[in-house]
Amino acid sequence: MTATRRQVVAASAGAAVLAGCDGFWRWASNGLGAGLPDSFTPPAGPETDPVHHALSRMAFGPRPGDVERVRSIGVPAYVEEQLAPEALDDVPCDLRARRFESLHMSAGNMQEWKREVAWRELARATVLRAVYSSRQLLEVMVEFWTDHFNIDTAKAECSVWKTPDDRDVIRRHALGRFPDLVRASALSPAMLVYLDGRDNKKTKPEDKPNENYARELLELHTLGVHGGYSQRDVMEVARCLTGWTVDTKGWKRGKPRFSKWRHDRGPKAVLGVEIPASEDHGERDLDRVLEIVTSHASTARFLAGKLCRRFVADEPPPALVARAAGTFSRTGGDIRAVLRTILLSEESAAARGARLKRPFRFVVSALRGLGADTDAGGPVLAALERMGQAPFQYPTPDGYPDEAAPWLGTLLWRWNFAVALASGRVGGTKVDLSALARAAGDRGDLGAIARHLLGRDPSAVETRALGQVLAKAPDERTGRAEGVGLLLATPAFQRF
Amino acid sequence: MPTVPSTRRAFLRMLLGEAGGAPRRDVLVVVYLRGGADGLTLVPPHVEAEYHRQRPQLALARPDHASVTATDRVRDLDGRFGLAPALDPILPLYREGLLGVVHAVGSEDQTRSHFEAQDLMEHGVPAAGGGTGGGWLGRHLRARPGPQPTALSAVAIGPSVPEALRGAPAASAVESLDDYRVAGESGARLLPALALLHEGGDPIGAAGRETIEVVKTVERLRGEKYVPGNGATYPGTAYARALQEIARLIRADVGLEAACVDIGGWDTHFFQGNLTGAMSGRMAELAGGVAAFAKDLTDRMDRVTLVAMTEFGRRVAENSSFGTDHGRASVMFLLGGAIAGGKVHGTWPGLSPDRLADRGGEPGDLAVTTDYRDVLSEVLARRCGQERLAAVFPGHEAKFIGVTRG
Repeated sequence: MTATRRQVVAASAGAAVLAGCDGFWRWASNGLGAGLPDSFTPPAGPETDPVHHALSRMAFGPRPGDVERVRSIGVPAYVEEQLAPEALDDVPCDLRARRFESLHMSAGNMQEWKREVAWRELARATVLRAVYSSRQLLEVMVEFWTDHFNIDTAKAECSVWKTPDDRDVIRRHALGRFPDLVRASALSPAMLVYLDGRDNKKTKPEDKPNENYARELLELHTLGVHGGYSQRDVMEVARCLTGWTVDTKGWKRGKPRFSKWRHDRGPKAVLGVEIPASEDHGERDLDRVLEIVTSHASTARFLAGKLCRRFVADEPPPALVARAAGTFSRTGGDIRAVLRTILLSEESAAARGARLKRPFRFVVSALRGLGADTDAGGPVLAALERMGQAPFQYPTPDGYPDEAAPWLGTLLWRWNFAVALASGRVGGTKVDLSALARAAGDRGDLGAIARHLLGRDPSAVETRALGQVLAKAPDERTGRAEGVGLLLATPAFQRF
Repeated sequence: MPTVPSTRRAFLRMLLGEAGGAPRRDVLVVVYLRGGADGLTLVPPHVEAEYHRQRPQLALARPDHASVTATDRVRDLDGRFGLAPALDPILPLYREGLLGVVHAVGSEDQTRSHFEAQDLMEHGVPAAGGGTGGGWLGRHLRARPGPQPTALSAVAIGPSVPEALRGAPAASAVESLDDYRVAGESGARLLPALALLHEGGDPIGAAGRETIEVVKTVERLRGEKYVPGNGATYPGTAYARALQEIARLIRADVGLEAACVDIGGWDTHFFQGNLTGAMSGRMAELAGGVAAFAKDLTDRMDRVTLVAMTEFGRRVAENSSFGTDHGRASVMFLLGGAIAGGKVHGTWPGLSPDRLADRGGEPGDLAVTTDYRDVLSEVLARRCGQERLAAVFPGHEAKFIGVTRG
């Protein structure tokens, strides 16, 4: 791949100027592996293929040919490969996603950017990576942590500072150690703004700390709401974190800093642990608090429960949660180790189709399933917004809900997107259904495409519904588009 | 699925109870102020010295404050309480007796967590926990007597169905009526196949069937451009548009019984801005929408009740960033022809330190003297035909405080 990459980079120097924009990068990306394979063999049989299932959970669904490749190395090897994303070549994805300039800016420089542009570039890059990255588990975990440490870009500087938060907090630590992730998040400029940490100070005796971040740190980021802390603990944590702030002006803008003049220097106690009045002006109170909360048994249980829900079932098996929590505690919050426990479990393998895809997963898995060539531009983002899951726009700190119920009202918008996508009516997105049918060995009844998208033989009802649509279509092309649209609209394709 | 009567007349007959014998019920519209709205700013207790003392930056001036321009002073309601100036659009509704206020109302929630408090309130269960599923509005629709709800009985205007409506026999989330169709010319060919695919008994099957019902119902409504009644004009915000869509469904007589709409942005930890700024903007939006809704539906107000509620109020003392942190009691607004309006209901607990609710060892929050379930119970029982309140609010013995006219 190195030679190819060099060729592409060399070619791009001149060609990018000529091509000017999207088209060239998409062509290059397709040439390097993001396009459709010449042929592949979809799964068969009445039950969901186990590899198809694994790719539905650990990835955003299989692309044409993925199931065969993973079957050849085995799911355990695939898990290991995905847990070491830095070793995976990702040039085809990078060509599409990394060219947005704002993704590489420091927080300080981001302030020069228009908020709409910053959001759009980050949102597009997020969709493009989810669709095209070979580091699928990383992307799945980025989505998980983005909700866990939710930041709404509608709030003040979060609009531009979510970009470095995504890069330096979420992506950097997504498969790292949980304590590092929490610390990075605590000092992320966007988080200091979003949960008002920057205004949490004690400069006068009558000052009361702003407890917004402290509360969410305990309730949402670490222990969980029933994790055994009190209102007193929230206030004490808030006191410990007084003094941390971030400037929006001057040469230090966008850099978190500690001001000892704003810190509450009295002694504190968090979850029964004394934090004596410190001699270092209180800068280390943050680390003491994070040590206490990230090593707490409630945190291990809370994180294990959330991860098991994400990867296994809305109501995950308690035994698996207990094992994952054990791994979390034993390894000091090693995210890879916890994922290994969950992803290689029998419970995970058995939970086929147990969960409802949220809109983001639905849209991305549809794009992947059809091998679509998308720029993830306005129309794709608008579809996500319509379904209630626009990236980085969830208003409250708990992140988009993970369970099925809140999303059941979105079916109509899913059906509409499914038909529009298959009919080539989503702007900036191209699908080649005849090439897909050819590669899958489809005989015109869409049976092979159904097996590819559903991971099994279509059921009698699905076959009948498909037959109705094909029979009513005015021509073959329309029939194929509407039939594939119907497959993406099936209850089975909403599950994963 | 219940069959949807094929004509508007049939719908009306069904609603009027000619078939089932049940009386016609109010349409209940629930406006949820998400984020914990500050009741002490919405309806300030302007005579309380503590209010002004604890809020040196944020207190609004008394109605008779000589050195503050009249436009910036609290609008007096009853000599004790007033409305924030930004709520001016709803002041006439209060004076006409269509709008009532309940003060110091809230839930048992002690966590002061948005999510816990909203969850508790929307599910309508005791804080100690209860096994009842779904939300209070969903249970109401299941438990009330009369004909089966239709596909458009319960609508949430927004991207998703809120918890309060969870478990309703049919609850749909729509952004706007015009949106509710299966795309393009493919729709007619695909709908029968989609119906076939959604015959299953699982949640997706049920949700799919409900969706198809609503699509078919709305199909009939479309084509008529909506003109609000009495020359009402709605503000251009998403929340106000949502109220307009609800008014449209009410006027269309499609069987709407309950509608939910959210208005966010009340979590004012930082630079609350009661006269100009965040809070004042939210209040103006809230009031502008409610006023337009009331004007639009002037001739139907006898069969409409709107309730505006929030998960909790905010701490009495302001914080050091010109904002307020999470507290306990707040206010509820009630609008409708049958509401005992022009009155501030409830029992005022007072703001002196010995009357405040405890927060982790120190008093600081407005105490809850009226349980939100008492207010909702009265509305459901007296206006929405509910005879089994115990099924709606398990473990709660409702005490009506007279928010409706007998």
